[in-house]
Amino acid sequence: MIRGLLLKSFLESWVTTVLLACALMGIEAILAYALPTFLQQFSPQLLQLEFFRSIIQALLGTDVGDMLSPDALHAIAWAHPVVLAILWAHAIVFFTRLPAGEIDRGTIDVFLGLPVSRWRAYACDLAVFLTSGLVVISLGLLGCFLGGLAVGPENRPRPQHILLVVVNLYCLYLAVGGLSALVSSLSENRGRAVALVVGMLVASFLLNFLAQLWPPAARVAFLSLMNYHQPLLVLREAGSGIWPLADMTVLTLTAAFTWTAGGVCFARRDICTC
Amino acid sequence: MSVIVTEQLTRRYGSRRGIERVSLNVPEGVLFGFLGPNGSGKTTTIRVLMGFLRPTTGTARIHGLDCWKESHRIKSEVGYLPGDLRLYPGASGNDLLRIFGTIRGRDLRAAGTDLAEQFILDLSVSVRKMSRGMRQKLGLILALAHRPRLLILDEPTASLDPLMQDILIRHLRELAAAGHTVFFSSHSLSEVERLCDRVAIVREGRLVADETLAGMREKAKRLITIKWQQGVDLSAIRVPNFLEIHERDGRTWCGSLHGTAGQLIEWLHAKPVADLVLGRPDLDSLFRRYYEHGATEP
Repeated sequence: MIRGLLLKSFLESWVTTVLLACALMGIEAILAYALPTFLQQFSPQLLQLEFFRSIIQALLGTDVGDMLSPDALHAIAWAHPVVLAILWAHAIVFFTRLPAGEIDRGTIDVFLGLPVSRWRAYACDLAVFLTSGLVVISLGLLGCFLGGLAVGPENRPRPQHILLVVVNLYCLYLAVGGLSALVSSLSENRGRAVALVVGMLVASFLLNFLAQLWPPAARVAFLSLMNYHQPLLVLREAGSGIWPLADMTVLTLTAAFTWTAGGVCFARRDICTC
Repeated sequence: MSVIVTEQLTRRYGSRRGIERVSLNVPEGVLFGFLGPNGSGKTTTIRVLMGFLRPTTGTARIHGLDCWKESHRIKSEVGYLPGDLRLYPGASGNDLLRIFGTIRGRDLRAAGTDLAEQFILDLSVSVRKMSRGMRQKLGLILALAHRPRLLILDEPTASLDPLMQDILIRHLRELAAAGHTVFFSSHSLSEVERLCDRVAIVREGRLVADETLAGMREKAKRLITIKWQQGVDLSAIRVPNFLEIHERDGRTWCGSLHGTAGQLIEWLHAKPVADLVLGRPDLDSLFRRYYEHGATEP
């Protein structure tokens, strides 16, 4: 039975996973090549501009100083809105399939007409999600290293440091997935579920952005998921062998809590397709 | 042994009515028709049985297992066809048989192919390219392929042409003869009359009848036409209370018989009858009266 559920989940999601993984690989390759090649040489001039400096600080969660270091450039590559959008899209598309998508489409009647417990179906979805997330992020990492081959060795990412950023990003991906699963479990319409999660993530992104520029927002920045993904700080501390354990714990606990809450809601809810 | 048992089953949607205190008992090996007009609660009852809706009060059991708490265990022996069938648009019939077979833990392809031949359906076509009737056939194949002990079908003949309806009915009869139980909802009276052993009628969420079709036939009135001989004084004929005359056209009287044929023959045997036509039990009007009247007896 579990094999069947995994197969169904895989068949429904592999195209999205492959497309988004390839997109992330391409974007990471471009960023790993383009940022050191074009941005670094103009960074002293650009950082003189208050607006540009604020944007970079808001994006990375800390002040970069007067020059964009290789670490800062790599951090931009893993905090870039397009990169985040690709990962969020995968998590949202994946987890709003069941139950919101199935209820919306009406196929849940046939699916739950099979001898499957709702918890088991939900858990099998998680297993495929975790694996496909690894595939997406791994291809992103591959793109990052492939792009780095085209730049000088001093600008190439250090694998052990980048790995920390990527693990932290994976935790963020899990948290977004958990949030999507919870919203999906409470919803009967996939479009509304997607819109709600996207709205929450955009609000979270903007809150984290604002927190760097506006002190009152900084006081509530802990509510933003993005507050726990700050690649530049991770890269700076990675040299001292410090892992971003606190951030990873918050994100993983958020993922575990929201996913479990979603499972409880799904198991207990009525299924109305009419 | 009872396959489906509901006791005082009630399901409300907030303040809106769903079903009220429905008590059903479906024995093994019967073709059980669940009738009612649109919005009467047929689908709600089926969704509670399938574990999609939690009962507000009362209980529903299939094979002795609670339909809400042990829903997934029940379904290994249940085949289900929803009323508003939706299938995965990108998948073909073969894909669905493979995936459903993997989930059910048995290979459904051979049985599915056999059923597809009977229903004249190409399993290689994707659901997206299927007509409504084809999708309905595929839904039936998916519900029947594992030869379940209990089939729950919500308006199964919808979208099927008469030929396919005949094939389905023949198949359901074979299943029932082999000891399988078929519980199906319908608002088609003729369909129920053709197929069922036992009928329950639900109206405005409440069960208003639950008995065998033979019992229903006994209750149903029969249309009757009596033609009297020439020269008979018709005003002297007193009509008994088991006979209701609707129309008197000279020597020809048309009416309905509420009693038995024996009572009628006994009453007529010494009377100057030229001709007599006794129709089949009029189940259609009986059902309609159940639908239209609030009482439990029409």
